[in-house]
Amino acid sequence: MSELLAVGRYEFRMQVRKRSLWLAMLLLAAVIALTQGDRGPRYTEAGAPAREVMAGWALLFGIVVPIGFGMVLADRLVRDRRLGTTALLESLPVGPRVLLAGKYLGGLASSALPGLLAMLVAGGYETVHRGDPLMLAWAVLAFGLIMLPGLAFVAGFALVSPLVISAPLFRVLFVGYWFWGNMLPPEFLPSLSGTLLSPIGDYPVSWLIGETALYAGVPGWLSFLRPAPSGVSVLVSVVLLVLVGLLPLVVAGTVFSRQRRTA
Amino acid sequence: MDIQTTGLSRRFGKVTALHSVDLSVPGGMYGLLGANGAGKTTLMRILAGVLPPGGGEVRVGGHDLTTGAGRTAVQRRLGYLPQDLGLYPDLTPREFLDYVGLLKGLDDTRARRQQVDELLELVALSEVAGRRMKGFSGGMRRRVGIAQALLGDPALIVVDEPTAGLDPEERVRFRSLLAGLAGHRTVLLSTHIVEDVAQTCQHAAVMAGGRVVYTGTVPDLVRMGEGATWEVVTTTGAPPPVGVVVSAISRTDGTHYRVISSTAPGAHAVPAAPSLEDGYVALMQRAPAQ
Repeated sequence: MSELLAVGRYEFRMQVRKRSLWLAMLLLAAVIALTQGDRGPRYTEAGAPAREVMAGWALLFGIVVPIGFGMVLADRLVRDRRLGTTALLESLPVGPRVLLAGKYLGGLASSALPGLLAMLVAGGYETVHRGDPLMLAWAVLAFGLIMLPGLAFVAGFALVSPLVISAPLFRVLFVGYWFWGNMLPPEFLPSLSGTLLSPIGDYPVSWLIGETALYAGVPGWLSFLRPAPSGVSVLVSVVLLVLVGLLPLVVAGTVFSRQRRTA
Repeated sequence: MDIQTTGLSRRFGKVTALHSVDLSVPGGMYGLLGANGAGKTTLMRILAGVLPPGGGEVRVGGHDLTTGAGRTAVQRRLGYLPQDLGLYPDLTPREFLDYVGLLKGLDDTRARRQQVDELLELVALSEVAGRRMKGFSGGMRRRVGIAQALLGDPALIVVDEPTAGLDPEERVRFRSLLAGLAGHRTVLLSTHIVEDVAQTCQHAAVMAGGRVVYTGTVPDLVRMGEGATWEVVTTTGAPPPVGVVVSAISRTDGTHYRVISSTAPGAHAVPAAPSLEDGYVALMQRAPAQ
Protein backbone atom coordinates (compact mmCIF):
# COMPACT_ATOMS: atom_id res chain seq x y z
CA MET A 1 0.00 0.00 0.00
CA SER A 2 2.80 2.42 0.88
CA GLU A 3 4.41 1.73 -2.50
CA LEU A 4 1.13 2.53 -4.27
CA LEU A 5 0.83 5.79 -2.36
CA ALA A 6 4.47 6.61 -3.10
CA VAL A 7 4.04 6.13 -6.84
CA GLY A 8 0.79 8.09 -6.78
CA ARG A 9 2.31 10.89 -4.73
CA TYR A 10 5.39 11.34 -6.88
CA GLU A 11 3.49 10.92 -10.14
CA PHE A 12 1.18 13.66 -8.90
CA ARG A 13 4.10 15.87 -7.96
CA MET A 14 5.88 15.45 -11.29
CA GLN A 15 2.76 15.98 -13.35
CA VAL A 16 1.52 18.97 -11.42
CA ARG A 17 4.84 20.71 -12.07
CA LYS A 18 4.38 20.48 -15.82
CA ARG A 19 3.63 23.92 -17.14
CA SER A 20 1.93 22.43 -20.20
CA LEU A 21 -0.70 20.82 -17.98
CA TRP A 22 -1.88 24.13 -16.65
CA LEU A 23 -1.42 26.09 -19.85
CA ALA A 24 -3.27 23.61 -22.07
CA MET A 25 -6.23 23.00 -19.82
CA LEU A 26 -6.78 26.45 -18.39
CA LEU A 27 -6.42 27.97 -21.83
CA LEU A 28 -9.04 25.60 -23.22
CA ALA A 29 -11.33 26.32 -20.24
CA ALA A 30 -10.90 30.08 -20.64
CA VAL A 31 -11.61 29.98 -24.37
CA ILE A 32 -14.79 27.93 -23.97
CA ALA A 33 -15.96 30.07 -21.03
CA LEU A 34 -15.45 33.31 -22.94
CA THR A 35 -16.96 32.09 -26.19
CA GLN A 36 -20.03 30.36 -24.80
CA GLY A 37 -23.16 31.40 -26.62
CA ASP A 38 -26.35 32.64 -25.06
CA ARG A 39 -27.25 29.02 -24.27
CA GLY A 40 -24.19 28.82 -22.02
CA PRO A 41 -24.39 28.58 -18.21
CA ARG A 42 -23.51 32.25 -17.79
CA TYR A 43 -26.90 33.05 -19.27
CA THR A 44 -28.93 30.61 -17.18
CA GLU A 45 -31.98 32.51 -16.01
CA ALA A 46 -31.74 34.52 -12.80
CA GLY A 47 -32.91 32.57 -9.76
CA ALA A 48 -31.99 29.21 -11.28
CA PRO A 49 -30.83 26.76 -8.59
CA ALA A 50 -27.09 26.47 -8.00
CA ARG A 51 -27.30 22.80 -8.97
CA GLU A 52 -28.51 23.69 -12.45
CA VAL A 53 -26.07 26.55 -13.01
CA MET A 54 -22.98 24.61 -11.98
CA ALA A 55 -24.05 21.47 -13.88
CA GLY A 56 -24.16 23.72 -16.93
CA TRP A 57 -20.63 24.92 -16.26
CA ALA A 58 -19.37 21.37 -15.79
CA LEU A 59 -20.90 20.38 -19.12
CA LEU A 60 -19.37 23.42 -20.80
CA PHE A 61 -15.88 22.70 -19.45
CA GLY A 62 -16.43 19.01 -20.23
CA ILE A 63 -16.51 19.84 -23.93
CA VAL A 64 -12.81 20.75 -24.01
CA VAL A 65 -11.03 20.19 -20.69
CA PRO A 66 -10.86 16.38 -21.07
CA ILE A 67 -9.17 16.87 -24.44
CA GLY A 68 -6.28 18.67 -22.73
CA PHE A 69 -6.42 16.04 -19.99
CA GLY A 70 -6.01 13.19 -22.48
CA MET A 71 -3.21 15.04 -24.26
CA VAL A 72 -1.08 15.56 -21.16
CA LEU A 73 -1.64 12.07 -19.77
CA ALA A 74 -0.69 10.38 -23.03
CA ASP A 75 3.04 10.37 -22.30
CA ARG A 76 3.01 9.29 -18.66
CA LEU A 77 3.86 5.63 -19.21
CA VAL A 78 5.90 5.91 -22.38
CA ARG A 79 8.06 8.62 -20.86
CA ASP A 80 9.63 6.13 -18.41
CA ARG A 81 11.05 4.39 -21.48
CA ARG A 82 12.04 7.69 -23.04
CA LEU A 83 13.75 8.95 -19.89
CA GLY A 84 15.48 5.62 -19.20
CA THR A 85 13.95 4.98 -15.78
CA THR A 86 12.30 1.68 -16.71
CA ALA A 87 15.23 -0.57 -15.81
CA LEU A 88 15.56 1.03 -12.39
CA LEU A 89 11.83 0.77 -11.66
CA GLU A 90 11.83 -2.87 -12.72
CA SER A 91 14.75 -3.62 -10.39
CA LEU A 92 12.77 -2.44 -7.36
CA PRO A 93 10.63 -4.83 -5.32
CA VAL A 94 7.39 -3.35 -6.65
CA GLY A 95 5.12 -5.15 -9.09
CA PRO A 96 4.06 -3.61 -12.40
CA ARG A 97 0.42 -3.47 -11.28
CA VAL A 98 1.33 -1.26 -8.34
CA LEU A 99 3.35 1.02 -10.60
CA LEU A 100 0.50 1.25 -13.08
CA ALA A 101 -2.12 1.88 -10.42
CA GLY A 102 0.02 4.54 -8.76
CA LYS A 103 0.64 6.29 -12.04
CA TYR A 104 -3.07 6.18 -12.82
CA LEU A 105 -4.07 7.65 -9.46
CA GLY A 106 -1.34 10.30 -9.43
CA GLY A 107 -1.89 11.23 -13.06
CA LEU A 108 -5.65 11.41 -12.62
CA ALA A 109 -5.42 13.53 -9.49
CA SER A 110 -2.90 15.99 -10.89
CA SER A 111 -4.49 16.32 -14.31
CA ALA A 112 -7.95 16.80 -12.83
CA LEU A 113 -6.74 19.76 -10.77
CA PRO A 114 -7.01 22.36 -13.55
CA GLY A 115 -10.57 21.15 -14.21
CA LEU A 116 -11.43 21.58 -10.54
CA LEU A 117 -9.79 24.99 -10.54
CA ALA A 118 -11.83 26.03 -13.57
CA MET A 119 -15.01 24.93 -11.79
CA LEU A 120 -14.03 26.83 -8.64
CA VAL A 121 -13.38 29.99 -10.66
CA ALA A 122 -16.76 29.59 -12.36
CA GLY A 123 -18.36 28.89 -8.97
CA GLY A 124 -16.73 31.98 -7.49
CA TYR A 125 -17.92 34.08 -10.40
CA GLU A 126 -21.47 32.79 -10.06
CA THR A 127 -21.43 33.27 -6.27
CA VAL A 128 -20.62 36.95 -6.76
CA HIS A 129 -22.82 37.39 -9.81
CA ARG A 130 -25.91 35.67 -8.42
CA GLY A 131 -25.28 36.17 -4.71
CA ASP A 132 -25.82 32.46 -4.01
CA PRO A 133 -23.22 30.96 -1.65
CA LEU A 134 -24.26 27.44 -2.70
CA MET A 135 -22.62 27.97 -6.07
CA LEU A 136 -19.15 27.09 -4.77
CA ALA A 137 -20.36 23.93 -3.04
CA TRP A 138 -22.14 22.88 -6.23
CA ALA A 139 -19.02 23.65 -8.23
CA VAL A 140 -17.20 20.95 -6.26
CA LEU A 141 -20.14 18.54 -6.38
CA ALA A 142 -20.68 19.00 -10.11
CA PHE A 143 -16.98 18.47 -10.70
CA GLY A 144 -17.06 15.21 -8.74
CA LEU A 145 -20.25 13.89 -10.30
CA ILE A 146 -20.01 15.16 -13.86
CA MET A 147 -16.36 15.71 -14.75
CA LEU A 148 -14.36 13.31 -12.58
CA PRO A 149 -15.89 9.98 -13.75
CA GLY A 150 -15.29 11.02 -17.36
CA LEU A 151 -11.73 12.00 -16.54
CA ALA A 152 -11.18 8.63 -14.82
CA PHE A 153 -12.47 6.96 -17.97
CA VAL A 154 -10.17 8.97 -20.19
CA ALA A 155 -7.16 8.49 -17.88
CA GLY A 156 -7.08 4.70 -18.26
CA PHE A 157 -7.08 4.88 -22.05
CA ALA A 158 -4.74 7.87 -22.24
CA LEU A 159 -2.13 6.11 -20.11
CA VAL A 160 -2.20 2.74 -21.81
CA SER A 161 -3.08 3.40 -25.47
CA PRO A 162 0.23 5.15 -26.31
CA LEU A 163 2.01 1.90 -25.40
CA VAL A 164 0.28 0.30 -28.37
CA ILE A 165 0.01 3.22 -30.77
CA SER A 166 2.30 6.24 -30.54
CA ALA A 167 1.39 9.14 -28.24
CA PRO A 168 0.96 11.63 -31.15
CA LEU A 169 -1.33 9.22 -33.00
CA PHE A 170 -3.31 8.61 -29.81
CA ARG A 171 -3.78 12.36 -29.39
CA VAL A 172 -5.15 12.76 -32.90
CA LEU A 173 -7.48 9.78 -32.55
CA PHE A 174 -8.57 10.91 -29.10
CA VAL A 175 -9.79 14.30 -30.33
CA GLY A 176 -11.80 12.54 -33.03
CA TYR A 177 -13.20 10.09 -30.50
CA TRP A 178 -14.13 12.86 -28.09
CA PHE A 179 -16.41 14.61 -30.54
CA TRP A 180 -17.75 11.35 -32.01
CA GLY A 181 -18.41 9.74 -28.63
CA ASN A 182 -19.92 12.76 -26.91
CA MET A 183 -21.31 15.36 -29.23
CA LEU A 184 -22.40 13.61 -32.39
CA PRO A 185 -26.23 13.38 -32.62
CA PRO A 186 -27.07 9.66 -32.23
CA GLU A 187 -29.49 9.77 -35.13
CA PHE A 188 -26.74 11.07 -37.42
CA LEU A 189 -24.26 8.19 -37.11
CA PRO A 190 -23.81 5.23 -34.77
CA SER A 191 -22.10 6.80 -31.79
CA LEU A 192 -21.54 6.47 -28.06
CA SER A 193 -22.92 9.96 -27.51
CA GLY A 194 -26.01 9.96 -25.33
CA THR A 195 -25.15 6.57 -23.81
CA LEU A 196 -24.16 5.69 -20.25
CA LEU A 197 -20.58 5.53 -21.60
CA SER A 198 -20.53 9.15 -22.67
CA PRO A 199 -17.71 10.60 -20.51
CA ILE A 200 -18.78 14.20 -20.99
CA GLY A 201 -21.30 13.67 -18.19
CA ASP A 202 -24.47 13.84 -20.24
CA TYR A 203 -26.44 11.66 -17.79
CA PRO A 204 -25.55 13.44 -14.53
CA VAL A 205 -26.11 16.86 -16.12
CA SER A 206 -29.48 15.81 -17.57
CA TRP A 207 -30.51 14.44 -14.17
CA LEU A 208 -29.41 17.59 -12.31
CA ILE A 209 -31.09 20.06 -14.67
CA GLY A 210 -34.21 17.93 -15.16
CA GLU A 211 -34.07 17.80 -18.96
CA THR A 212 -31.90 16.27 -21.65
CA ALA A 213 -28.61 18.16 -21.68
CA LEU A 214 -27.20 16.76 -24.92
CA TYR A 215 -28.47 13.35 -26.02
CA ALA A 216 -28.82 11.32 -22.81
CA GLY A 217 -31.49 8.70 -23.36
CA VAL A 218 -32.16 9.80 -26.94
CA PRO A 219 -32.91 6.68 -29.06
CA GLY A 220 -30.00 5.44 -31.13
CA TRP A 221 -27.29 2.81 -31.53
CA LEU A 222 -26.81 0.48 -28.50
CA SER A 223 -30.29 1.22 -27.13
CA PHE A 224 -29.64 -0.81 -23.95
CA LEU A 225 -27.09 1.85 -22.97
CA ARG A 226 -29.65 4.63 -23.33
CA PRO A 227 -32.04 4.49 -20.37
CA ALA A 228 -33.94 7.61 -19.33
CA PRO A 229 -31.81 9.89 -17.12
CA SER A 230 -32.48 9.20 -13.42
CA GLY A 231 -30.58 8.84 -10.18
CA VAL A 232 -30.07 5.15 -10.88
CA SER A 233 -28.89 5.64 -14.46
CA VAL A 234 -26.48 8.33 -13.26
CA LEU A 235 -25.05 5.91 -10.71
CA VAL A 236 -24.75 3.19 -13.36
CA SER A 237 -23.08 5.63 -15.75
CA VAL A 238 -20.54 6.75 -13.13
CA VAL A 239 -19.69 3.17 -12.14
CA LEU A 240 -19.46 2.05 -15.78
CA LEU A 241 -17.20 4.94 -16.74
CA VAL A 242 -14.81 4.24 -13.87
CA LEU A 243 -14.77 0.48 -14.46
CA VAL A 244 -14.35 0.70 -18.23
CA GLY A 245 -11.54 3.22 -17.67
CA LEU A 246 -9.80 0.67 -15.46
CA LEU A 247 -9.98 -2.04 -18.13
CA PRO A 248 -6.91 -0.89 -20.10
CA LEU A 249 -4.96 -0.81 -16.84
CA VAL A 250 -5.99 -4.35 -15.95
CA VAL A 251 -4.96 -5.58 -19.40
CA ALA A 252 -1.66 -3.67 -19.32
CA GLY A 253 -0.93 -4.88 -15.77
CA THR A 254 -1.49 -8.49 -16.83
CA VAL A 255 0.71 -8.08 -19.90
CA PHE A 256 3.50 -6.39 -17.92
CA SER A 257 3.42 -9.06 -15.22
CA ARG A 258 3.63 -11.80 -17.83
CA GLN A 259 6.47 -9.98 -19.59
CA ARG A 260 8.43 -9.79 -16.35
CA ARG A 261 8.09 -13.53 -15.90
CA THR A 262 8.82 -14.57 -19.45
CA ALA A 263 10.25 -11.72 -21.55
CA MET B 1 25.75 -11.98 -0.77
CA ASP B 2 27.21 -14.57 -3.11
CA ILE B 3 26.21 -15.07 -6.74
CA GLN B 4 26.19 -18.45 -8.44
CA THR B 5 25.18 -19.05 -12.04
CA THR B 6 25.25 -22.45 -13.69
CA GLY B 7 24.59 -22.93 -17.37
CA LEU B 8 22.85 -19.56 -17.51
CA SER B 9 21.61 -18.71 -20.97
CA ARG B 10 19.46 -16.04 -22.50
CA ARG B 11 18.26 -15.42 -26.04
CA PHE B 12 16.63 -12.43 -27.69
CA GLY B 13 14.89 -13.80 -30.75
CA LYS B 14 17.59 -15.43 -32.83
CA VAL B 15 20.43 -13.74 -30.95
CA THR B 16 21.98 -15.64 -28.07
CA ALA B 17 23.17 -13.07 -25.55
CA LEU B 18 24.39 -15.56 -22.93
CA HIS B 19 25.75 -19.04 -23.62
CA SER B 20 25.77 -21.33 -20.61
CA VAL B 21 27.43 -18.91 -18.22
CA ASP B 22 29.01 -20.40 -15.10
CA LEU B 23 30.07 -17.76 -12.63
CA SER B 24 30.76 -17.66 -8.92
CA VAL B 25 31.05 -14.31 -7.17
CA PRO B 26 31.91 -14.73 -3.49
CA GLY B 27 31.65 -11.14 -2.22
CA GLY B 28 33.65 -7.94 -2.14
CA MET B 29 34.38 -5.93 -5.25
CA TYR B 30 34.16 -8.01 -8.41
CA GLY B 31 34.86 -6.77 -11.92
CA LEU B 32 33.13 -7.95 -15.05
CA LEU B 33 35.06 -7.02 -18.17
CA GLY B 34 34.17 -7.41 -21.80
CA ALA B 35 33.72 -5.57 -25.04
CA ASN B 36 30.41 -3.94 -25.94
CA GLY B 37 27.98 -6.70 -26.84
CA ALA B 38 29.79 -9.33 -24.77
CA GLY B 39 26.66 -10.04 -22.71
CA LYS B 40 27.57 -8.08 -19.57
CA THR B 41 24.44 -5.96 -19.50
CA THR B 42 22.18 -8.97 -20.06
CA LEU B 43 23.87 -10.73 -17.14
CA MET B 44 23.52 -7.60 -14.97
CA ARG B 45 19.84 -7.27 -15.85
CA ILE B 46 19.21 -10.89 -14.94
CA LEU B 47 21.01 -10.48 -11.62
CA ALA B 48 18.96 -7.34 -10.91
CA GLY B 49 15.74 -9.25 -11.55
CA VAL B 50 14.85 -7.05 -14.50
CA LEU B 51 15.09 -9.94 -16.98
CA PRO B 52 14.15 -13.53 -16.26
CA PRO B 53 16.83 -16.05 -17.18
CA GLY B 54 16.27 -18.06 -20.35
CA GLY B 55 17.77 -21.25 -18.99
CA GLY B 56 20.14 -22.59 -16.36
CA GLU B 57 20.34 -21.67 -12.69
CA VAL B 58 20.97 -18.35 -10.96
CA ARG B 59 21.18 -18.05 -7.22
CA VAL B 60 21.87 -14.82 -5.37
CA GLY B 61 22.27 -15.04 -1.63
CA GLY B 62 20.61 -18.44 -1.85
CA HIS B 63 17.53 -17.08 -3.67
CA ASP B 64 16.54 -18.66 -6.95
CA LEU B 65 16.21 -15.93 -9.57
CA THR B 66 14.24 -18.15 -11.90
CA THR B 67 11.24 -17.66 -9.59
CA GLY B 68 9.27 -14.47 -9.00
CA ALA B 69 9.59 -14.86 -5.22
CA GLY B 70 13.36 -15.26 -5.54
CA ARG B 71 13.66 -12.16 -7.70
CA THR B 72 11.62 -10.09 -5.25
CA ALA B 73 13.68 -11.35 -2.29
CA VAL B 74 16.91 -10.33 -4.04
CA GLN B 75 15.48 -6.98 -5.12
CA ARG B 76 14.79 -6.15 -1.48
CA ARG B 77 18.53 -6.33 -0.79
CA LEU B 78 19.74 -4.96 -4.10
CA GLY B 79 21.18 -1.67 -5.24
CA TYR B 80 21.20 -1.40 -9.01
CA LEU B 81 22.70 1.26 -11.21
CA PRO B 82 21.65 0.47 -14.77
CA GLN B 83 23.60 1.50 -17.81
CA ASP B 84 22.26 4.89 -19.00
CA LEU B 85 20.10 5.50 -15.95
CA GLY B 86 17.52 8.18 -16.64
CA LEU B 87 16.24 10.58 -14.01
CA TYR B 88 13.00 12.47 -13.68
CA PRO B 89 13.82 16.05 -14.66
CA ASP B 90 10.91 17.44 -12.63
CA LEU B 91 12.25 16.06 -9.35
CA THR B 92 15.12 17.17 -7.16
CA PRO B 93 17.78 14.62 -6.13
CA ARG B 94 16.31 14.60 -2.64
CA GLU B 95 12.83 13.84 -3.96
CA PHE B 96 14.11 11.21 -6.37
CA LEU B 97 15.98 9.40 -3.61
CA ASP B 98 12.96 9.64 -1.34
CA TYR B 99 10.81 8.13 -4.09
CA VAL B 100 13.21 5.24 -4.72
CA GLY B 101 13.55 4.74 -0.96
CA LEU B 102 9.79 4.41 -0.60
CA LEU B 103 9.69 1.89 -3.44
CA LYS B 104 12.49 -0.04 -1.73
CA GLY B 105 10.25 -0.32 1.30
CA LEU B 106 11.94 2.26 3.55
CA ASP B 107 8.73 3.23 5.28
CA ASP B 108 10.14 5.04 8.32
CA THR B 109 9.98 8.64 7.12
CA ARG B 110 12.56 10.05 9.52
CA ALA B 111 15.10 7.27 8.92
CA ARG B 112 14.59 7.47 5.16
CA ARG B 113 15.10 11.23 5.07
CA GLN B 114 18.20 10.95 7.20
CA GLN B 115 19.61 8.28 4.90
CA VAL B 116 18.82 10.37 1.84
CA ASP B 117 20.67 13.34 3.31
CA GLU B 118 23.66 11.17 4.24
CA LEU B 119 23.86 9.71 0.75
CA LEU B 120 23.59 13.12 -0.85
CA GLU B 121 26.49 14.18 1.33
CA LEU B 122 28.45 11.05 0.37
CA VAL B 123 28.10 11.73 -3.34
CA ALA B 124 28.72 15.47 -2.87
CA LEU B 125 25.29 16.60 -4.01
CA SER B 126 24.05 18.23 -0.82
CA GLU B 127 24.36 21.70 -2.29
CA VAL B 128 22.05 20.88 -5.19
CA ALA B 129 19.75 18.58 -3.24
CA GLY B 130 16.82 20.94 -3.68
CA ARG B 131 17.42 21.75 -7.34
CA ARG B 132 15.49 19.99 -10.07
CA MET B 133 17.64 17.49 -11.97
CA LYS B 134 16.87 18.96 -15.37
CA GLY B 135 20.23 20.17 -16.65
CA PHE B 136 22.40 18.04 -14.36
CA SER B 137 25.73 17.01 -15.90
CA GLY B 138 26.57 13.39 -16.68
CA GLY B 139 28.70 13.18 -13.54
CA MET B 140 25.97 14.57 -11.32
CA ARG B 141 23.46 12.16 -12.80
CA ARG B 142 25.79 9.24 -12.15
CA ARG B 143 26.20 10.36 -8.57
CA VAL B 144 22.45 10.50 -8.10
CA GLY B 145 22.40 7.01 -9.62
CA ILE B 146 24.92 5.58 -7.19
CA ALA B 147 23.16 7.28 -4.26
CA GLN B 148 19.86 5.61 -5.15
CA ALA B 149 21.66 2.28 -5.50
CA LEU B 150 22.95 2.64 -1.94
CA LEU B 151 19.55 3.35 -0.40
CA GLY B 152 18.52 0.75 2.13
CA ASP B 153 22.09 -0.40 2.73
CA PRO B 154 21.92 -3.18 0.11
CA ALA B 155 23.91 -6.37 0.47
CA LEU B 156 24.42 -6.57 -3.29
CA ILE B 157 25.26 -3.65 -5.55
CA VAL B 158 25.19 -4.14 -9.30
CA VAL B 159 26.63 -1.29 -11.34
CA ASP B 160 26.61 -1.41 -15.11
CA GLU B 161 29.15 0.75 -16.95
CA PRO B 162 29.09 3.40 -14.22
CA THR B 163 32.00 5.47 -15.50
CA ALA B 164 31.14 5.55 -19.21
CA GLY B 165 31.02 9.14 -20.38
CA LEU B 166 32.56 10.62 -17.24
CA ASP B 167 35.52 12.95 -17.35
CA PRO B 168 38.77 11.65 -15.79
CA GLU B 169 38.31 13.49 -12.50
CA GLU B 170 34.74 12.24 -12.09
CA ARG B 171 35.87 8.72 -13.01
CA VAL B 172 38.54 8.65 -10.32
CA ARG B 173 36.10 10.01 -7.76
CA PHE B 174 33.50 7.46 -8.76
CA ARG B 175 35.96 4.56 -8.59
CA SER B 176 37.06 5.57 -5.11
CA LEU B 177 33.46 5.76 -4.02
CA LEU B 178 32.67 2.30 -5.36
CA ALA B 179 35.79 0.75 -3.85
CA GLY B 180 34.85 2.18 -0.47
CA LEU B 181 31.47 0.46 -0.58
CA ALA B 182 32.68 -3.08 -0.96
CA GLY B 183 33.59 -3.68 2.69
CA HIS B 184 30.74 -5.93 3.80
CA ARG B 185 28.90 -6.05 0.49
CA THR B 186 29.14 -7.65 -2.89
CA VAL B 187 29.74 -5.03 -5.56
CA LEU B 188 29.56 -6.27 -9.11
CA LEU B 189 31.12 -3.76 -11.46
CA SER B 190 30.50 -4.28 -15.15
CA THR B 191 32.62 -2.23 -17.49
CA HIS B 192 34.53 -2.23 -20.73
CA ILE B 193 37.04 0.19 -19.20
CA VAL B 194 39.88 -2.00 -17.95
CA GLU B 195 41.35 0.71 -15.78
CA ASP B 196 38.21 0.77 -13.61
CA VAL B 197 38.74 -2.87 -12.68
CA ALA B 198 42.51 -2.45 -12.28
CA GLN B 199 41.98 0.29 -9.72
CA THR B 200 39.19 -1.27 -7.66
CA CYS B 201 38.86 -5.06 -7.93
CA GLN B 202 40.75 -8.06 -6.59
CA HIS B 203 38.70 -10.53 -8.61
CA ALA B 204 37.26 -10.34 -12.08
CA ALA B 205 35.59 -12.24 -14.87
CA VAL B 206 35.92 -11.57 -18.56
CA MET B 207 33.09 -12.10 -21.03
CA ALA B 208 33.26 -12.43 -24.79
CA GLY B 209 30.49 -13.37 -27.18
CA GLY B 210 28.08 -14.21 -24.36
CA ARG B 211 30.52 -16.57 -22.64
CA VAL B 212 32.72 -16.24 -19.58
CA VAL B 213 36.26 -16.70 -20.83
CA TYR B 214 38.10 -15.93 -17.60
CA THR B 215 37.43 -15.91 -13.88
CA GLY B 216 40.10 -15.36 -11.29
CA THR B 217 42.15 -12.70 -9.58
CA VAL B 218 43.10 -9.46 -11.25
CA PRO B 219 46.88 -10.16 -10.80
CA ASP B 220 46.39 -13.50 -12.59
CA LEU B 221 44.61 -11.68 -15.41
CA VAL B 222 47.58 -9.33 -15.61
CA ARG B 223 49.89 -12.35 -15.89
CA MET B 224 48.02 -13.42 -19.02
CA GLY B 225 50.09 -10.75 -20.72
CA GLU B 226 53.45 -12.10 -19.56
CA GLY B 227 55.63 -13.14 -22.49
CA ALA B 228 53.18 -11.52 -24.87
CA THR B 229 53.70 -7.82 -24.15
CA TRP B 230 56.27 -5.96 -26.21
CA GLU B 231 57.54 -2.50 -26.87
CA VAL B 232 58.66 -1.62 -30.36
CA VAL B 233 60.07 1.69 -31.57
CA THR B 234 59.73 2.46 -35.26
CA THR B 235 61.03 5.49 -37.09
CA THR B 236 58.80 5.00 -40.13
CA GLY B 237 55.61 5.49 -38.15
CA ALA B 238 54.17 2.25 -39.47
CA PRO B 239 52.92 -0.16 -36.79
CA PRO B 240 54.57 -3.57 -36.36
CA PRO B 241 53.28 -6.14 -38.84
CA VAL B 242 52.20 -8.69 -36.21
CA GLY B 243 50.28 -8.46 -32.93
CA VAL B 244 47.68 -6.11 -31.50
CA VAL B 245 48.77 -2.56 -30.84
CA VAL B 246 47.65 -1.50 -27.38
CA SER B 247 49.16 1.97 -27.48
CA ALA B 248 51.22 4.19 -29.75
CA ILE B 249 53.11 7.21 -28.49
CA SER B 250 55.03 9.49 -30.82
CA ARG B 251 58.37 10.71 -29.39
CA THR B 252 61.46 12.36 -30.83
CA ASP B 253 63.22 9.02 -31.42
CA GLY B 254 60.21 7.48 -33.21
CA THR B 255 56.84 5.97 -32.43
CA HIS B 256 56.72 3.72 -29.35
CA TYR B 257 54.27 0.88 -29.84
CA ARG B 258 53.03 -1.41 -27.12
CA VAL B 259 52.09 -4.66 -28.79
CA ILE B 260 50.47 -7.90 -27.66
CA SER B 261 51.83 -10.82 -29.62
CA SER B 262 52.75 -14.42 -28.86
CA THR B 263 55.97 -13.92 -30.84
CA ALA B 264 58.33 -10.94 -30.96
CA PRO B 265 56.73 -8.41 -33.35
CA GLY B 266 60.09 -7.35 -34.80
CA ALA B 267 63.83 -7.71 -34.47
CA HIS B 268 64.09 -4.80 -32.03
CA ALA B 269 61.02 -5.65 -29.95
CA VAL B 270 61.67 -5.55 -26.20
CA PRO B 271 59.60 -7.58 -23.69
CA ALA B 272 57.61 -5.35 -21.29
CA ALA B 273 55.91 -5.89 -17.96
CA PRO B 274 52.19 -6.33 -18.65
CA SER B 275 49.43 -4.16 -17.26
CA LEU B 276 45.86 -5.37 -16.77
CA GLU B 277 44.96 -3.98 -20.16
CA ASP B 278 47.76 -6.04 -21.72
CA GLY B 279 46.61 -9.16 -19.90
CA TYR B 280 43.04 -8.54 -21.01
CA VAL B 281 44.03 -8.06 -24.65
CA ALA B 282 46.28 -11.16 -24.52
CA LEU B 283 43.38 -13.15 -23.10
CA MET B 284 41.01 -11.93 -25.80
CA GLN B 285 43.62 -12.92 -28.40
CA ARG B 286 43.68 -16.44 -27.04
CA ALA B 287 39.92 -16.74 -26.46
CA PRO B 288 38.28 -19.02 -29.02
CA ALA B 289 36.57 -17.17 -31.86
CA GLN B 290 32.79 -16.93 -31.29
